[in-house]
Amino acid sequence: MNRSVYSRLAVTNLKNNRKTYVPYILTAVLTVMMHYIIDALSQNSSVGEGKVQEVLSYAVVVVRIFSVIFLFYTNSFLMKRRKKEVGMYNILGMGKAHIARMFLVETLITASASIGAGIAGGILLGKLMWLVLLKILHYEVNMDFAVSGAAVIHTLALFALIFGLTLIYNLWQIKLANPVELLRGGNVGEREPRTKWLLAAAGILLVGYGYYVALATESPLKAIQLFFVAVVCVVLGTYALFAAGSIALLKMLKKKKSFYYQSKYFTAVSGMIYRMKQNAVGLANICILSTMVLVMISTTICMYMGMDDILTTRYPREFEATSFNPDKETEEKIIRIIEEEIRQAGISEKDRMEYHYGGVATLKKGNEFKIAVDEDVYSGNQDIYELKMIPLADYNKLEGCMVNLDEGEVLLYNPDRNAEKLGDRMQIAGDSFRVAEELDTFCLEEKNDSRIVGGYYVIVKDKAQIQKFLNAAYDRLSKEYDQLDEMNVQYKVCLDLEGDAKDCRRAEEAIEKRMKKEVPQSYCDGREVERELFYYTYGGLFFIGLYLGSMFLMATVLIIYYKQISEGYDDRERFQIMQKVGMSRREVRQSIRSQVLMVFFLPLAAAVVHIAVAFKVITKLLAIFNMVNVSLFFLCTVATVMVFAVFYAAVFGVTAREYYRIVG
Amino acid sequence: MALLDVKNVRKIYTARFGGNQVEALKDVNFSVEPREYVAIMGESGSGKTTLLNILAALDKPSGGKVFLKGRDLAQVKERELASFRRQNLGFVFQDFNLLDTFSLKDNIFLPLVLSGKRYDEMEKRLAPIARTLGIEKLLEKYPYEVSGGQKQRAAAARALITKPQLILADEPTGALDSKAADELMRLFSRIHEDGQTILMVTHSVKAASSADRILFIKDGEVFHQLYRGNLSNEQMYQKISDTLTVLTTGGGKHE
Repeated sequence: MNRSVYSRLAVTNLKNNRKTYVPYILTAVLTVMMHYIIDALSQNSSVGEGKVQEVLSYAVVVVRIFSVIFLFYTNSFLMKRRKKEVGMYNILGMGKAHIARMFLVETLITASASIGAGIAGGILLGKLMWLVLLKILHYEVNMDFAVSGAAVIHTLALFALIFGLTLIYNLWQIKLANPVELLRGGNVGEREPRTKWLLAAAGILLVGYGYYVALATESPLKAIQLFFVAVVCVVLGTYALFAAGSIALLKMLKKKKSFYYQSKYFTAVSGMIYRMKQNAVGLANICILSTMVLVMISTTICMYMGMDDILTTRYPREFEATSFNPDKETEEKIIRIIEEEIRQAGISEKDRMEYHYGGVATLKKGNEFKIAVDEDVYSGNQDIYELKMIPLADYNKLEGCMVNLDEGEVLLYNPDRNAEKLGDRMQIAGDSFRVAEELDTFCLEEKNDSRIVGGYYVIVKDKAQIQKFLNAAYDRLSKEYDQLDEMNVQYKVCLDLEGDAKDCRRAEEAIEKRMKKEVPQSYCDGREVERELFYYTYGGLFFIGLYLGSMFLMATVLIIYYKQISEGYDDRERFQIMQKVGMSRREVRQSIRSQVLMVFFLPLAAAVVHIAVAFKVITKLLAIFNMVNVSLFFLCTVATVMVFAVFYAAVFGVTAREYYRIVG
Repeated sequence: MALLDVKNVRKIYTARFGGNQVEALKDVNFSVEPREYVAIMGESGSGKTTLLNILAALDKPSGGKVFLKGRDLAQVKERELASFRRQNLGFVFQDFNLLDTFSLKDNIFLPLVLSGKRYDEMEKRLAPIARTLGIEKLLEKYPYEVSGGQKQRAAAARALITKPQLILADEPTGALDSKAADELMRLFSRIHEDGQTILMVTHSVKAASSADRILFIKDGEVFHQLYRGNLSNEQMYQKISDTLTVLTTGGGKHE
């Protein structure tokens, strides 16, 4: 045959199938683009000291895996639709080799169009994404972002591979089938599905267990350990429930004669059985994807927006310096360094606080606090309390008062807003104390609900008392890790800085540098330093949340579109028959509408339920990152779900119209 | 009074672009009495299917009127049309038109469910019909599990279960092998003997020979009709063949 015949045939085929191929190519273009952009961003090391890059490089892997699965999936949709056409060519005398050649040309056309346009679009939009990323990270320096050769090569290679694989898959499909089968291609799989009770029960159990874990876990540390298990259970359970549970339910409805034989439900129930059979996995995919998108976006938005909250909880003052092994001389030196550098930078300080403290992890049993061993701490035991012990002299200085304590007396402060008072006697590591007063306020930590681990501030008579407990704790410390030679009372100074933001940062940096050099066993910490790190980490996560979120959204939209279109072709005949048998146009429309609506919104509804159940455990996990603003998280979640639902409904509108056009 | 009255029915199709007009039915007149079994014959393109669609109220005539039990089909409102069709007409199609997603039983129940009948009443109606048509054992099966003849019998049951005034059959034997076709025609005769009015469009001489009366349509007009009288099916067959020969070789119009 003439060589140009193949390309002409290929072009004609693509034109004739434009209703399915245009969205396919568009998706491919977008996927290529998104891969190129994220790859190019991750190649650029000029931002975020590697931290952002690290986060981005994880995202690249996700995008790659996703691209492969997604393009493969859409391709299989197209192939199913085109089987009849291929069968026709076969019967009209084209050999399988000829068809293969035609497919090769087609794939070449779609692949080069997609990859070309995708990379071009990526290069154009990459700069924009780069600016968005900088904005999110609060990076003010205007960095350069050039075309990344490596990213182009990665993208080319990856997508050439993907398209190659889809071609092989398609050819394999043709090779396996005989023409008669190909001609019937669209109509296979009409048999009524059997009920898989076992799978349905497994689905209920898995989802139930996942939900139970999510709802019953109280301790954040336990939540970390169990969250992953719960997620896996729910994901598996969702697939099982969509595949078997739905059919079991529908069959049960069908058995109930007085329900089933009503014009409202008759066609809907039987129609749904077939729809669920064909679409269970697709719908479960959509459900899981949606849940992922929603959780990812809502948590990252929440973390990002709640950054100030988090930082204030963690750091009561803007800047702090700690010494592990203080003596009079060291303390004076630290203060001197701070004061010198603040003067040097031309700024001033405010609200300085200085104090000594020793921290011991204990196991609380009523009013008795026993020193905890490592196992207790790591097992996420609920009764772990951190005792932060401060000498009376420092307390008086901090609060500006003149309290006196007798031997064997302590002051107590619990920062947990909801905690009950302990009573007037307590035991710490075997020593008995009288609680002179349980305080209602303490300037080091306001009353809050953000504690992951419970804790008390214990104001004791003097440093010697604290050291005694520290020694006792050190003795019980497992020596495996061998990092500490001793445990000492620590010294901490914290203060706010006033002045130009840039000058403050410069002063902090200078102080940190000098401390490192001049004061051994000490470190500096600052809200601003931390904020930058936060922006890098959570800003990076936020960016990826949005990026992957929009990618998954695109996937969801497209899967839905293809589902509707291909179902439309299948349903056309059925609805024509129903009209002939005596169903009015209105009844047909209603029946279509209710079924399409159900198929459409089932995954979204399931996703929302998942999220509602996961809400509590996610707040616990966020608490570990000091994000405790539950109402903010609630708002973020609701807003994300709403935005998603609007998108979803819009897609529904478009596809439903297309569907009516095909069916009607 | 005639059950079905067709008066001066005309149907003209106009091509979508340009004014090319095709006259499918020129001037069709006939009537069907209650309990009558009428077959309409004609070559492809003679307007048989157009006529049937008009009788089924699926299509509207360009001129003329169709009365069912004295009611003008054109006067039935669009909204009532579906239920009117459901209550008064039963359909048997060439390609069965059974829904693959329903068992045969549910397929048969479909029109009753749409009319809002109770389940026990549906069961009660189904039992005798299923016995007559010999599909009692097949009711729980799905259309893809049974043969063409069995499918067509189920479709006939679906048409009968609403106790329609008139059964319209469009080439009911068209997709069946000769044995299944004979069986179906035997059943049609039996249903007819039980008092059911049937109007069947066909171009199978064999199928038509089981009817009481045969109308021949040519070029959009009723060209000729044959009455059975006391003739046997075999004699009818011969007579129909002769008529068709005359029709195709183009003899003059005679009554």
